[in-house]
Amino acid sequence: MKTKNIDNYTKWQKSFERETKIDLNEASSETDEGIEIKPVYTKADIENLSFVDNDSLPGQLPYTRGPKASMYTNRPWTIRQYAGFSTAEESNDFYKKNLKSGQKGLSVAFDLPTHRGYDSDDDLVMGDVGKAGVAIDTVEDMKILFNDIPLDQMSVSMTMNGAVLPVLSSFIVAGEEQNVNQNLLSGTIQNDILKEFMVRNTYIYPPDPSMKIVADIIEFTSKEMPKFNSISISGYHMQEAGADNVLELAYTLADGMEYVRAALSKGLDIDDFAPRLSFFFAIGTDFFMEIAKLRAARTLWYKIMKDFGAKNEKSLILRTHCQTSGVSLTEKDPYNNIIRTSYEALSAILGGTQSLHTNSFDEAIALPTDESARIARNTQLILQNETGVTNTVDPLAGSYFIESLTDELSKKAWEVIEEIESIGGMTKAVKAGVPKLKIEESATKKQAKVDSGSRVVVGVNKFKNPKEPKVDVRVIDNNRVRDDQIKKINDVKASRDQKAVDESLAKLVTAAKEGSNLLARSIDAIKNRATVGEVSKALEQVYGRHFATSLSVSGVYGKHFEGDEDFMNVTKKVNIFEKENGRRPRVLVVKMGQDGHDRGAKIVATSFADMGFDVDMGPLFQSPKDVAKDAIENDVHAIGVSTLAAGHKTLVPELMKSLKEIDPKSKIIVFVGGVIPEQDYNFLYKNNISAIFGPGSNIIESAEKVIDLISDKIHKNN
Amino acid sequence: MQLVEKIIKGERAAIAKAITLVESSRENDKKESRKLISELLNKPGKSIRVGFSGPPGVGKSTFIESFGRYLVEKNYKLGILAIDPSSQITGGSILGDKTRMIEISKNPNTFIRSTPSRGSLGGISIGTREASIILDAAGYDFIFIETVGVGQSETMATNLVDIFSLIVGPGSGDELQGIKKGITEYADIFIVNKNDGDLKSEASKTASDYKSAISFYKKSNDTADKEVLLVSAIEQTGMEKVIETIQNIVSQNKKNKNFDDRRAKQFTYWIEEEVKEIIQFKIQKKIKADSSISQLSQKVMDGKIQMFEAIEAITENLQNK
Repeated sequence: MKTKNIDNYTKWQKSFERETKIDLNEASSETDEGIEIKPVYTKADIENLSFVDNDSLPGQLPYTRGPKASMYTNRPWTIRQYAGFSTAEESNDFYKKNLKSGQKGLSVAFDLPTHRGYDSDDDLVMGDVGKAGVAIDTVEDMKILFNDIPLDQMSVSMTMNGAVLPVLSSFIVAGEEQNVNQNLLSGTIQNDILKEFMVRNTYIYPPDPSMKIVADIIEFTSKEMPKFNSISISGYHMQEAGADNVLELAYTLADGMEYVRAALSKGLDIDDFAPRLSFFFAIGTDFFMEIAKLRAARTLWYKIMKDFGAKNEKSLILRTHCQTSGVSLTEKDPYNNIIRTSYEALSAILGGTQSLHTNSFDEAIALPTDESARIARNTQLILQNETGVTNTVDPLAGSYFIESLTDELSKKAWEVIEEIESIGGMTKAVKAGVPKLKIEESATKKQAKVDSGSRVVVGVNKFKNPKEPKVDVRVIDNNRVRDDQIKKINDVKASRDQKAVDESLAKLVTAAKEGSNLLARSIDAIKNRATVGEVSKALEQVYGRHFATSLSVSGVYGKHFEGDEDFMNVTKKVNIFEKENGRRPRVLVVKMGQDGHDRGAKIVATSFADMGFDVDMGPLFQSPKDVAKDAIENDVHAIGVSTLAAGHKTLVPELMKSLKEIDPKSKIIVFVGGVIPEQDYNFLYKNNISAIFGPGSNIIESAEKVIDLISDKIHKNN
Repeated sequence: MQLVEKIIKGERAAIAKAITLVESSRENDKKESRKLISELLNKPGKSIRVGFSGPPGVGKSTFIESFGRYLVEKNYKLGILAIDPSSQITGGSILGDKTRMIEISKNPNTFIRSTPSRGSLGGISIGTREASIILDAAGYDFIFIETVGVGQSETMATNLVDIFSLIVGPGSGDELQGIKKGITEYADIFIVNKNDGDLKSEASKTASDYKSAISFYKKSNDTADKEVLLVSAIEQTGMEKVIETIQNIVSQNKKNKNFDDRRAKQFTYWIEEEVKEIIQFKIQKKIKADSSISQLSQKVMDGKIQMFEAIEAITENLQNK
């Protein structure tokens, strides 16, 4: 620093310490990522940066300032709202409405059975059909989905990873039957299986064959579908599952490296496919960190691709979609979510995203209504049209803080990437369960910060609204959707040429055994009207279905509460309970149906165990019957059902029934946690549910309630 | 006793409640538990009890899922007692074995119970023996007892099961010397898991390491030979060999009375343990009530008497009470 600068800094420090009465050395805060945030940044902080080049401009390497020179000054980001409503007809309506009101691309959410490769008539998915998205069983559903939407003009993004072959095939065949050749189709398929093994759990096959499928799709699209993005490498779900920004950034890029290697192993030239790799990040409430993350992501990807030997400029540039954070939304005081989402959207834009989804404020409670979806979309329209944020490219460049943070985040992420590479790449790391465990640890820490009040969430643990507003939510009649789908499947099956179906499925099986490209074969099967479930099952014969083993962290939650009164109070109650009853309170924590979001269940399990409970963890994708058997054999006091995908209305009553079937005198208490709209509360209470914990519930308070309920039940029976 | 009938009928909830009873630390429950077990012992089933132990991460639960699936397909009834470690700090535990026993846990011919170890030694929890008696009376053909950790499991090996098997991973042969000596002595079967994919050659090498290690333990002709088996839990290979080996060892041991001898020894050990526990409980009560102890120890502290004198005086006093 120059003498004058040093002089100024010393003066500033004195003033700062006088004003705050805090020593400057102790005035920094630390982020979830372990990055120190100082009260002030100076020029000195951006000298000698490791990754960021201060002299670079937008559209110039290492692309920190944006993939394009003109960015939003030429064309603003694409407003791309993710939606899928139970049936193809409803979704089609919704898309057409949105396109009319200014949306440029569309994005399809599929229901859980489709993700996991089950047809709607499969017994295993009874409670899941039409939940969290649209059910696609055959190409006929796909054709309805895009009815009157010209596929040669509309870019379509599909969130599909598990059943990626039959779904992408259905899309291609639907285009063909609209007379649109596959080389004119544009859009993105998520096709990112590695993060499924880490967090989202909608995989079907084990990691190795799953990676082969990813590579097959990259290979096929690079040759036949030049306008289509073969993969959307996603960190979004990692942050949703509780990963901090370093983990999200590093694991996403490490996933990307693994996909590049998989495609290279097919003998492709890197510049043939790399330009069609796209990314997807979550944007949470840590305003500056999120901006820095997008800038760091581009900077690091450039380095990675250069090391792979890419020459085409398009291969070196990271293009990304972003979505505001779903996990930052709260059920309490829900209108606050509009404000949270707005700031998150601004972060994404200042970070330079290519497209954006803004969440509806009611998504912590249910699927969005027309009204809440409109507010969400308008959030972006206002940013584009009223605020002036599109007038200048990368307006925060040169900010001491932002540049330094970008560099710091890059450094930390690079260390994590090197760690994964030293294990032998992400497929191996995933098999060993490393990233999953790290993310769960981070999630548990975050939850503990909120529960202990060291992190403020307005309307939840501070500034609570004394008069919670009532919000109207969308209601789905799951049984009707399922019946309709079953009828449609039966119609297709009745009119198709069964011999052609069988032959094309047999060819698919042969291709899987021989190791040849599976997408071409599955397109044939789908064209012959094989169902999504049939295509998936055919491959299952060769690859088997994957079941994840699950590791758990312990002690992470409890550590944040040393000496905390409420926490001690619960552990004391647990100890008294053990003395009186000869064992600890025992709780089975389960997920039922095809919903694989297990962050909540994991956090409840580890924190309850840290408070002294004995916690049984059920496997994912259990049926209510399996849960009942498990609960009764282990003689648990209570079952905690975690539900995030609206399956509670069918699955929970089914569970109560199954319990009584095995043990008519069952005294097991059932409580439910997760995303549950308030109008379902009465329904659940009528089904003898003892307690309901919505999103943002304090875990310590919940644990206390559970142990009290258990004790009451025991006393009543004595 | 109604509970006994329900157990024998195989009612799931009754079996579960009975296991809770025998695991309970409450004094009243302990008395009831002894009564229940006495009655059940008069109505023995035909179960073979097999212990599975091994270091964390070798795939014990995954093996049991795979082997168990093989057995239930052959219509055997299978009871599984899985013991999970409790946290030393909080006393709580996460019982996660069932996340790796997905298929068999759904099967109506299985009963799977996880139990927190609650800090007891030997990898065995309080009540495991009694729980296996309950499952035996309920008509299960096989009872698997799965424990974490190696080194302290000898107790189980000799005192709880008919056959004790050790599950190991590829590459573990190097650790054979030293630490696992005890357990290799007690194990009847060594199962080298993960004989699949890249690990195949490593697994074969590990198996031959174990084979040469156990050659030292070959005893007289009347005991069944120890066996080393290669399996892959994820590919479900080698399972028929495991059941064959178990059945061979059982029939050989039954022929030469080793089977019954072992059970008789276990029974004696068990009674000793129970007696010890009861006496210990009584003595502890007396010790708590005995005010002379603190007075005498004060005298030791003050240098008025020697420590051994105090100890002798207290012991005599307690015996006379």
